[in-house]
Amino acid sequence: MTDAHAAVMESHWGGGAQPFGASWQKTMMWIFIVTDALLFSGLLCGYGYLRMASPVPWPETTRVFSIPFIALMTFILISSSATMGTAVTAARLGDGKKALSNLCLTIFGGLCFLGCQAYEWSHIIHEGARLTSNPWGAPQFGASFFVLTGFHGSHVFSGLVILSITAIRSALGKTPAQGVEMAGLYWHFVDLVWVFIFTLFYLLPS
Amino acid sequence: MSDAHGQHPYRVYWITWALLLVITLAMLAAESFHLPRIFLVVFLVAFMMVKAVMIGGNFMHLRFEKSNLGIMVLCGIMLTSLILFAYIAPEAKSVLEKTVR
Repeated sequence: MTDAHAAVMESHWGGGAQPFGASWQKTMMWIFIVTDALLFSGLLCGYGYLRMASPVPWPETTRVFSIPFIALMTFILISSSATMGTAVTAARLGDGKKALSNLCLTIFGGLCFLGCQAYEWSHIIHEGARLTSNPWGAPQFGASFFVLTGFHGSHVFSGLVILSITAIRSALGKTPAQGVEMAGLYWHFVDLVWVFIFTLFYLLPS
Repeated sequence: MSDAHGQHPYRVYWITWALLLVITLAMLAAESFHLPRIFLVVFLVAFMMVKAVMIGGNFMHLRFEKSNLGIMVLCGIMLTSLILFAYIAPEAKSVLEKTVR
């Protein structure tokens, strides 16, 4: 009995005070990220359903969007993830200055991304895209686009709020390294979601 | 780029960044070749997964965490999504067949 118990405790699923080998804050952050990812998974599956079930051809995204512009948005987000990772490591190594400057760069990247998205939205609305109709093909295209990118954009926005609070607090010396790491996990998650939206919504051919 | 310990703690992020950019450019380039649709879809989805693993592993440090955290995240997200999609995809097809008919 005790041997079996010891074997379980030594395995990866041993549990104990830290079942995932991480602090409770980090564990809870990860559980939150999993649930938030499931939100996007539901949205992407819903989009897949609409696209597969549509009797009208799905619009060619290369005609609707400027793909180089979307690629630029991807570049901005990936770069901001790299600066965020640098900020997390700098904070862990106790280099507060580097952490703060990289946090500010990440915030700048996020603002650029949101600016691009605002431009893209106004452009596509100007071209005639609405939630229930659009000039290019299947009417469900509009709803899919606005819901997917809108939810993602709102996540970028809340990420920016978290990052700004973290940056201000770390400038005041009030944020522990773990605080930067938590904000970083969320920001990388936003980048991760964009990888899926970029491929499945913008690149997948009709 | 080296820290006080004489290592390169930031290098992993910038290598990942460069690889993510290369993969993204490869995906964009693949679009311009007129490959059969199925090849293109498989190629894009495969590299999407590679990018996701790189972001999760290197940026979010899952590679360096206890492995059950990674398993929890991977199963929690990917398995649930696959099951969801596996159930609704045939439904979408049958709806399409009914509307077209």
